[in-house]
Amino acid sequence: MTLVFGVFLLTLLVIVAVAIVRSTNLFAAVMLSGIFSLLMAVNFFLLDAADVALTEAAVGAGVATVLFLSALALTAEHEQVRPGGAALQWLPLVVAFATGGLLIYATFQNPVIGDPNAPVHQHVAPWYLENTPELIDIPNVVTAVLGSFRGFDTLGEVFVVFTAGIGVLSILGLRHTLVEMTSAEIDARQRSLRHHLIPRVVGRGMVPFILLFALYVQFHGEYSPGGGFQAGAIAAAAIILYSLLEGDDRGRALVPEWLLQIMVASGALLFGGVGVVCMLLGGSFLDYSVLAEVPSEGQHLGLLLIELGVGITVSGVLLTVFHAFARRASR
Amino acid sequence: MIFYPVVFALLVTMALAIVRAVKGPSLYDRVLAVNMFGTKTVLFLAVASYLMGRPDFLDLALAYALINSIGVMAVLQFFQSREFRRRYEHRHEAE
Repeated sequence: MTLVFGVFLLTLLVIVAVAIVRSTNLFAAVMLSGIFSLLMAVNFFLLDAADVALTEAAVGAGVATVLFLSALALTAEHEQVRPGGAALQWLPLVVAFATGGLLIYATFQNPVIGDPNAPVHQHVAPWYLENTPELIDIPNVVTAVLGSFRGFDTLGEVFVVFTAGIGVLSILGLRHTLVEMTSAEIDARQRSLRHHLIPRVVGRGMVPFILLFALYVQFHGEYSPGGGFQAGAIAAAAIILYSLLEGDDRGRALVPEWLLQIMVASGALLFGGVGVVCMLLGGSFLDYSVLAEVPSEGQHLGLLLIELGVGITVSGVLLTVFHAFARRASR
Repeated sequence: MIFYPVVFALLVTMALAIVRAVKGPSLYDRVLAVNMFGTKTVLFLAVASYLMGRPDFLDLALAYALINSIGVMAVLQFFQSREFRRRYEHRHEAE
């Protein structure tokens, strides 16, 4: 039955993807990409990948739409139709179809979903499932794999997020003075939703609950779906909601920019620092077992610290990018 | 099994919302369609987590329910700021 749902939802996904490509109205494309992300999350969910679905929920539903709209505020409403020969348009189509055809051809060799004899279930996965209770002693194997067994990969991902933040900032500009803005009313007061009572009351009431949920996802990641990435995105979404309601200036007063810069760097530093401490205590890099007397307690401590580092960096980067866009739009 | 008709009804509603989002014609139809699709996603996740026998995955539906509203706020803010900027630009051109 899950397969039927999956096929139906994937068909909808294709329809939405085609609609995104064909739409020349950029706002419509942003709205459709919101639906695309929701559909994607449902598909992840049906495949039992709850951690990934939660990431898609936090990033896709919360932050991506906001960032897309901030970018849209800096550009035109409609996609520019580029004048070019018919050959220029046929070439990408042919390339896309050839690649797609190859990929579909490759899927014929794939094992059926859930086949216990598939290579993916024969390789390292059984070892992880078997040894997580003994070595790490937490129920959520995904967190154990991400944080401990494959800690290197996660460290790399954190630095990817860190680098992406630096990249966006170097394009949008870290310090934009607002001298050019002659009409102050555009910026601070009227751009926000401060004068609309209902969104403000309802939205402000939700901010603490979203933050609470972020903390739950952060510190409960060893027992249920979630972890640093998801929690960082959810916490950033809460602050973004506050900034949307109260205006960017008050959002920046709540979480000042110097703090954000420290957060971006210190989260990644904390992750790497835990690894170095492990080395100093006589273990290998990111081997948390040496952090406490009992190896599994050391693993718990290490996972807690690195997930905290991940969460701090992710929320710092997302908020910095959001503020960079908002400041740019207010010129 | 009461869950199957519910899931079926939700999937049909999701498909209808997508039809509205793709066809438009106005931007507000699309905004409403996305909003409705978000709500249906929350419900679908909630029902599917029971259907799959994993009620602890209800966390996800909760996350969506909390975060979904942010997108709509962003849309409101986008239209408002665009309105003000246009007025400002008009005034600027007139001077």
